[in-house]
Parts: sequence; C-alpha cells; structure tokens
Amino acid sequence: MKWKRTIYSLFTLSVIFLLLATPVYARIKLVALPERGKTIIRLDNPQATLIEEERVLTLQKGLNKVDFSWKDVSIDVDSIRLSVLTHPDKVILLNVSYPPNEAALVWEINSEDAFEVTVRISYLLSFIDRLITYKGLVDMEETRMNLKSFLVLRNFSGEDFESASVLLDEGQSFEKSISHGETKQLLFLNKAEVPIEKRWTFDARKLPWDPEKLETNVGIPVTYRIKNVKETGLGSSVLSEGKVRVFQEDGQKSTIFLGEDFTKLIPVGEKMEIYIGDSRDIVVTQRKMREERINVRYKRKNRIVLYDTDEMIKASIENFKEKPAMLTMIQHIPGQWDMEECNMDYKRVDAYTLEFEIALPAHSKRELTMHYHRRNVR
Amino acid sequence: MRHKLIFFATIAVLLGHSLALAKVDLVILPKRDTVQLTIYNSADLTLVRESRALTLKKGLNRLQFSWANTLIDPTSLEMLPKMYGDRIDIQDLAFPPRVRNLGLWHVQSQISGNVPVEITYLTSGLSWRAFYMGTLSKDEKTMHLKGYVRVTNKSGEDYENAQVRMIVGKINLIDQIADLARRQYPYGRPGPPPVVPRVKLDRVAVRAEAKRELERAEKIMMAKPKEIRKEGLSEYFLYTIEGTETIPHGWSKRLPSFAVEQVPVVNLYKYEEERYGNQVLRFLSFKNDKTHNLGETPVPGGVLKVYRNVVEGAHLSYEGQSRFKYIPVNEDVELNLGTVANVIVKPTLMDYKTDRYLFGNKGNISGWDEIREFEIEIKNTRDLPIKVEIRRNFKTSSWEIKKFGNFGLYEKVDLDTVKFTLNLVAHETRKFRYVLTTHHERRAH
Repeated sequence: MKWKRTIYSLFTLSVIFLLLATPVYARIKLVALPERGKTIIRLDNPQATLIEEERVLTLQKGLNKVDFSWKDVSIDVDSIRLSVLTHPDKVILLNVSYPPNEAALVWEINSEDAFEVTVRISYLLSFIDRLITYKGLVDMEETRMNLKSFLVLRNFSGEDFESASVLLDEGQSFEKSISHGETKQLLFLNKAEVPIEKRWTFDARKLPWDPEKLETNVGIPVTYRIKNVKETGLGSSVLSEGKVRVFQEDGQKSTIFLGEDFTKLIPVGEKMEIYIGDSRDIVVTQRKMREERINVRYKRKNRIVLYDTDEMIKASIENFKEKPAMLTMIQHIPGQWDMEECNMDYKRVDAYTLEFEIALPAHSKRELTMHYHRRNVR
Repeated sequence: MRHKLIFFATIAVLLGHSLALAKVDLVILPKRDTVQLTIYNSADLTLVRESRALTLKKGLNRLQFSWANTLIDPTSLEMLPKMYGDRIDIQDLAFPPRVRNLGLWHVQSQISGNVPVEITYLTSGLSWRAFYMGTLSKDEKTMHLKGYVRVTNKSGEDYENAQVRMIVGKINLIDQIADLARRQYPYGRPGPPPVVPRVKLDRVAVRAEAKRELERAEKIMMAKPKEIRKEGLSEYFLYTIEGTETIPHGWSKRLPSFAVEQVPVVNLYKYEEERYGNQVLRFLSFKNDKTHNLGETPVPGGVLKVYRNVVEGAHLSYEGQSRFKYIPVNEDVELNLGTVANVIVKPTLMDYKTDRYLFGNKGNISGWDEIREFEIEIKNTRDLPIKVEIRRNFKTSSWEIKKFGNFGLYEKVDLDTVKFTLNLVAHETRKFRYVLTTHHERRAH
C-alpha cells in the first residue's frame, strides 16, 4: 500500500522577481519549490511548538518577492520569521505583506547581488506537541525505583515531517520522522535504583475523624518522594510534568500496578511527590475529648464578648501492617492559640497548622494527645 | 453478542527508511505462550502480562500489535525482551495515522532468531469481588466462615489458561482505563481532546445479563477447589489462584478463597439513639487474628450472608446479611446484621429538675444546671448469653455523671458521648440508673 496523505499541507515558496513596478490586481505567483532543508521541531516550550526549516533561495540582484503560503495547517501568522543565514550583510528584508483572503505572506527582499542564499523560516505550528509520561518500578522493600520516562510526540498539525531534528529541553535532541496523525512514544530517560521515600499522610481537615462510623474504609494517602538531585542519579535537568505510573516487583518475576499520579514540573533540587493510593492498614481515629469555654468576659445583659477555650484532642493511630511506617499528621487550630500540653513533637508549618512526624513500628498503636487553649475568641 | 478479538502480532523487516513503505512485509503470528491477569477490585483495571516468542531478523524489525474490540489502554503498552536485552533496542512505539487500535514497535536487533518477549498492558472490563457465607453454631459461639471471589470478564477478550491474580487495595487513578481505551488517538490530540461518549447499557438488559451470569456461575462451580496464595505488597494484598483459569468474554467464575471451621464470635447488641434510633442492632463481633483462626491476611470487603445451624441434620435458618469494609489483620470486626426485637433496651427519664441558678445585674437568668435521672432497662429474651453496648450522647460538653447499680463497663468515648458495656446471660433483665447533670450558660464556663 502506498503511503497516502489525506490532509494536504502545502508549503509553497515562490520567488517572484519584481519586473514591473505597476501594481497588479491578481497576484501572479511564480512558484519555485526549493527543497526543505534541515528541519527542527522545537518542543522545549510546552505552550507552543516552534518549527525551524532551512531553504535555499535563488535571489536576483535588486528587489525580490518571496511568497510563502500554506494549506490545512495552523500557523500563527504573526510568529513567522525569516532570517538570512548566508550573505546576511548583502541581503535585506524590506517588508512583509499579507495578501487578502489567503493563508500566505510575501516577503520583499533586497539583494545586492544575484546568488543563492540559505534562509531559515521559523513559525509556531499548532496541533503538534509532546507529552512526557513516567513509568516507575519499585522494589519489594519500596526504597528504590527504576524510573523510565517516555517522550510522546503527537503530530496532528497537518504536516508530515521526515527526518526532523526534535529538540527538547536543555539541548536534548534526536532525529525522528513523524507523519500527520501519528503518535510516537520513545524511551528518553532510564534511571535505575533511584532512592525513594514512602510517606503516609493524615490531614485532620481532609479525612474523617471516626472511621468506625463510616460504611467504607478511610484510606490514608500514600506517596513516594523522589528528589531531583545528583545524589539520586537524577538532578541533571528538570523533570517535566506528566503522568506517572508506578509498578512494583512482586517477588514472582512479575509486577503489580501500584497506582498513578500526575506530577507537575520538578526543577532541579526539588522533590516529586507521587500519590499512589490509600492505605487501609493504618487507621486513625481522632476524637475531641473536651471543649469548654474558660475565662469568659461579658458585657451588659450577660452578652459574651470574649472567651478562651479549653480543648483536648485525642488521636489513636494504629498500624496493622507488618512493616514500620512514617506518618505525617497534619492538625489545624484556628485563631490565636497556646499549646498547654502535647505528648508528641510537632513543627508549626504556619500560624494555624501543626505537623507531626509519627514513627509507627509494625503492629503498633500510638496515641496523640493535644491539650490547647484558643485565646480571645469573639 | 460476543466480541471476537483479533490479537495478532506481525513482524515486518524494514527494508528501507521511508514512511511510504508498506507496513506489513512479513506476517508471523506467534502464539501467546503464557498470560497472567492481575485484577483490581477498587478500580476497573487489570494488568495483563503475556509472553510470546518473536522471530527477529538482524537490523530493524517492525512489530505490529492490534487490539480491536477490546478495552486495552494503548498508553500502557510496553514490550520488553526477556533475553538479549543489551542487543535488542526498542526504538519507539508508533501509533500510525488513520488506523485505530494498532501499535507498531520499531526494534533494532543485533541478533537473528527467536527472542522471548513480555508484553504488558492495562485493560478494563475484568473485575472481581469477594463475598462470604457464615454459618453460626447452634450456641452462636462460633461461625464457620467461607470466603469466595467472583471474577467476571467483560473485556472483549477470551483469556485461556490465564494465571489469575487479584489485588485488594485502593489505588489512585487519574484516568479511567475504559476511557483511555475508547480514545480515538492513544494520547489524544493536542488541544482539547475529543470526547467519545460512553455507551450506556439499558438497565433491564443489565439485570438480565446479571441473571444470566448468575446461572452461568452456578454451572461452573468448581469440582475441585483450588488454593489461593496470599501476600502483602506495598499497601495492597495480592491473591494468586493456583494453576490457570479460562475465562471467556462475558463469563464469570466463582472461586473459593478461604474456609475457616470455627471462628469464635460474640453476639453484640448496640443501642445508640442518635445513630440507630430507638432500636437495637445486632452485630457479630470477632477479630481478624490468630486467636479467631484468622489473621493470616486482611479480609477484602464484601457481603456476608449469615446462617445458623438450627437442628441436627444441617438445617439452616437465615440470620441476615451484612456488607462490611476491608478488615486489616488484627483489626476488630463488627458485622451489622440489622435491627432485632429479641433484645430490648429502654431508657426512661425518671426525674428532672433544675438547680443552681445564676442571675445577672438586671435580674435575668444567666446560668443554671439541669439534672436528669435515667433508668436503662435491658432485656435479653434469647436463650443465649449476649453482650450489649449502649451509647448516650449529651449534646453538650459540660456535664457530670453519677452511676448506680450494675452498669457494667463505663467509658467516655468523646466530649459528649459515654458508653456502657454489659454482659447478660440468657433471659436476663438488667436495670441500672445514672444521674446526668448538665451545665448551661454561665454555669457551663
């Protein structure tokens, strides 16, 4: 079967020699189709794809008109640029004009002599882009990950590219052909033994306090943290945003799928946080054991103007797993407050947020007690 | 209608580099040697791993893989050589234009001959669920607990002699596999991706299908029960069924997952007005641990139907059913069997008074106490001993309590809830009292 193109893209480059000074009503295109030379697809900006192509123009001495038109492709007209690579000092681009009702433009170029010049035409092309996806395989102990990253080229631009140089972030490039309507997926990063950190997080504002009262299990979100630094084998470039699928070795020469998440762009030095799923083997039951108003101040007619509270929260954390776990527990106390007594250390993340790092040995139960006063509640 | 799936792999030796080259030069149909299904129950998702032997030529090989009428997520497709990994380079996986459900691997090989490869992908349409049958002994002290799993295949593909594994766990998914499988382009198009509407099944048809499935499942009840191997991985549990199974598209299969002869159970009755109203609920309570002949693995959530041996000769009475959630190892289980009339809990307000008034400057009331005396009567009309848990909520956090009589075990649950736990013998009636003082307005501070 012969490769057939259903959607045409037509780049015509025409050089019109300006022989007559009088204007004509119908545009006469003297079409010469110079071969498209080196083509670069620049995908370093996720917002837009820049195409750079080189062509050889045969210029006459004096004024030349170069006609550039396209069909069934979506080019941002204002993004089209022409730069002259050879004889730049002898060739001057005078102006650019847009013919009515046409996907085209005309460059007016003045040349000091008659010669062939290499030009680079660049423009932003729509419906061609790239995605990044990740596939991680963690070991049974969940301490290391084999991290693969795939580049997915999607070309729905209307244009076929044969042997284009595809350019990514920070100078990574390769040669690839990609037709209109085609999607290509290729491996582009493969790092073995990347250290990971596994975390469980209970946020008292996001999760229900008393799982016993619910018909379904309360899952404690589980995440893997991967640092984009040299020490982990990464750290050479940013990790682009994309979908991350995580698998785990099962000890039977096979794998299981652990879950997936979408990561935002991770700059060098920052960490990627992948939420894989929920643990139902760590159970947090949180209850308010006391809430009383103290130090109440009244105005006329016994109206309360100001008071403090005396509050106590108990959270029991049970680890039903056979392995130890590190739970990050986030608690919130609104307004002005003092901690009267707390049986675990915490970090004050902001004025109203407390973060506890709670180590849970295998098959263990721990209890957090927070006794605090909220002050000057109106 | 049964979908007929065409799964084929073709190898084409690439003679030139041009895209204009015909796609298929040489077609070989290597057999699927083994197939493994890892089925999830928290999401419509199955990981399929199949091994095939490919015949590669030196140089660039093109391998075509297509999956019409199935629910495979093309973005999950991966092929890995199991041998000669260093001499075989999988350059890319292309999804060519104008064809759907087709992927093309470009493989650069330094060897020629047979190469075993493993192809993995995620598919939708296979599911499993757990269900249980419990039979109580006549004295209701122990329960014979049987667990089953039912695997259903609606994936469009017939899986023959597949190793079947099941995952218990709640995974995070950002896209439904079925939606990915129905996309026109595997990764969508740049810009807003086209929305392919989901085909919704008619309700009556769904019910009819369910009935047919049930009939089929009954037919395929196993002659020889198979073992299920269980192990924990990350936050999940993996159940592997011994041997292989053949599950054609549209079929379900029921497989026994475990059976425990004697699980000691406690008949627990609960009363809590705010949660259950003025009625008593019956629970079967036990623990997923060694002392209850369990505790080897977590128990996946499901429905338990409870029967009771009534007389000798294996006659049964149906006691009720309970849908329960996932039970971790060593966790207490309370199975709700619904309301009962044969255990009665009756709280009665016996006395009410107010006291300790406070007055403000203008003589208005600014604080007071309310004192209520309750009598709780518990009647066990059954000819078995029972355990009763009574919770009382006070709607305020400023209170004191005094208890009289045989009130069992008392516990403060949270700032406005207390719990009394009592054990009653057969046909026992018990009464106890408590006096509750609640503080109001300025008395509360």
